[in-house]
Amino acid sequence: MKLLTLPEQAVVKKDFGEIWSTKMVRNTMILVPVIMAVFLPILYLVLICFVPSNQINGADQMMKLLPKEAAGFNAQQSMFYLMTNMICPMFFLMIPLMSSSVSAACSFVGEKERSTIETLLLTPLSVKSIFKAKVLGCILLSAITTAISFVAFAIVISVGDIILQMPFFLNWNWLILVLLLAPAITVFGVVFMVLVSGRSKSYMESIQTSGYIVLPLILLFVGQFTGLFQLSALLLLFAAAVVVVADFLLWLFASRLFTPEKLLK
Amino acid sequence: MLLAAIHMENLTKSYDGKIIALNRLNLDIPQGGIFGFLGPNGAGKTTTVKLLTGLLKPTEGVCTVFDMSPQEKPCDVHRICGVMTETARMYGQMTGRQNLQFFAQTAGMDGPESDQRADELLKSLDLWDARDRKLSEYSTGMTQRLSLARSLVHRPGVLFLDEPTSGLDPESAQTVNAMILSLARNTGVTVFLCTHQLRYAQDLCDGYGILEKGNLLAAGDLPTLCKNIGCRIRAEFRLAPGQSPEGLQKAGEWWRTEVRDEDEMPGLVRKLIDSGHDLYEARLVKPTLEDVYFEYTERREVSK
Ligand SMILES: Nc1ncnc2c1ncn2[C@@H]1O[C@H](COP(=O)(O)OP(=O)(O)OP(=O)(O)O)[C@@H](O)[C@H]1O
Ligand SMILES: [Mg+2]
Repeated sequence: MKLLTLPEQAVVKKDFGEIWSTKMVRNTMILVPVIMAVFLPILYLVLICFVPSNQINGADQMMKLLPKEAAGFNAQQSMFYLMTNMICPMFFLMIPLMSSSVSAACSFVGEKERSTIETLLLTPLSVKSIFKAKVLGCILLSAITTAISFVAFAIVISVGDIILQMPFFLNWNWLILVLLLAPAITVFGVVFMVLVSGRSKSYMESIQTSGYIVLPLILLFVGQFTGLFQLSALLLLFAAAVVVVADFLLWLFASRLFTPEKLLK
Repeated sequence: MLLAAIHMENLTKSYDGKIIALNRLNLDIPQGGIFGFLGPNGAGKTTTVKLLTGLLKPTEGVCTVFDMSPQEKPCDVHRICGVMTETARMYGQMTGRQNLQFFAQTAGMDGPESDQRADELLKSLDLWDARDRKLSEYSTGMTQRLSLARSLVHRPGVLFLDEPTSGLDPESAQTVNAMILSLARNTGVTVFLCTHQLRYAQDLCDGYGILEKGNLLAAGDLPTLCKNIGCRIRAEFRLAPGQSPEGLQKAGEWWRTEVRDEDEMPGLVRKLIDSGHDLYEARLVKPTLEDVYFEYTERREVSK
């Protein structure tokens, strides 16, 4: 069975073209991952390598956050470990969330804003096919962005690990994060945006709204530094399960709202 | 009897529950031919098209297109319908050609077939030179013609055209009208044409419906409409200055009277000459669609 029929593929291709030709969206989809997955890690690595660790403020306190597996690390290694395992995971939730919600905003709200959705609804494609093609297109695009970012990130971190003579960074936390939580968040970003698209008039407005869902994520990660809790594979697995359930419910809800009468209001 | 291509029964639509945009419309439109749907701004023409194409749900009543309900089977209806409305735009960042190719593909054509169909339509609508320019750089008229091309891309059997020639220069309007006419005559497409341009409508349409404030005032072909409202043929005569014949009314240089049909004309001419008038010119004036339209809309105001 094919996932998408030929006409649906045409819609996906058209959406990709549209997203690519919208400057704001294209820039977001490129800049955010480049900064988070490549630029910031490199910057941090350079800082660790060239600034003596006793000059970093609060280094001692941060050391206390280290788990057992990092017990024998020296100061530089510890700093790098902290960054890799406490800060960067947040980036890999924000990248899928940003890219999926921004592309969905362009694909759903943008189409409504430019009143091309009416034309699309007049084609022999059913409303369901259009919904499916658009949602899957956004998920695909965001998955590609996340995958490329992760490969680039893995290369940077591996280089850091080699320079600092540390073990390879990939652990269970990362695997669950990238293979389960990130895809679930991607779907969440798209479906959430479809829901929001019913209310917002311009896609800039809906992108702002999507900013609010990034906030809880940031809080979650800031929480780690207070020492209240630490990310564990189990916690991440639980989070993924929660998001998947939310995805499922939102999908049902969003597809019900996706009707000609509601879209053309 | 031919199957009615479009059937409307008690079709009613209210957007907000207060204002009734369309009030109990009953209308059957036969297969083949061009049906002109006339009415002033806000009459409910676009609303009717949106109901017939499944973009809106009727508040009451039913409508079918070739026996299929656009609300229940929108895909099947869209497969045989081409729709052009002012509010259905195309993609600004794509070229005219890419737009047509895309819409051909959504109708199930594969790559080469859609390319061929797009090129065919671009040529027949005089857009070939602009094919590789972005739609956002098109003028109003060009956009309009591309919309028409889009509505034709999957070779529909029924065409819904909502003011296809508004905003076109006379030359393009003529091209578009000729195209609509040839589609209807040569390929048997049924055309549902909403328009304000009564002069064009008269040249194109086989039947008319006149709508005002959601109410259908009249429907039928021009002779029927004339008969029902009492618009008659007029016999007009230009006589030597100063002469005033009996039983004729003066209208400018002309003296005129209404006749039941053309056969009365020779008798009238003979009578005028026999009674010693100098006849310079005689003519028969048939009521135009414009006359009939105004007669209907004015009569409605008077009766209120
Ligand atoms: N989306 C909408 N929401 C509320 N009312 C609407 C909407 N669209 C149209 N109407 C109302 O419905 C009535 C009929 O409008 P419609 O657009 O069908 O007129 P029309 O005959 O197409 O006019 P025009 O010749 O100006 O295009 C009008 O009174 C209009 O105000
Ligand atoms: Mg209209």
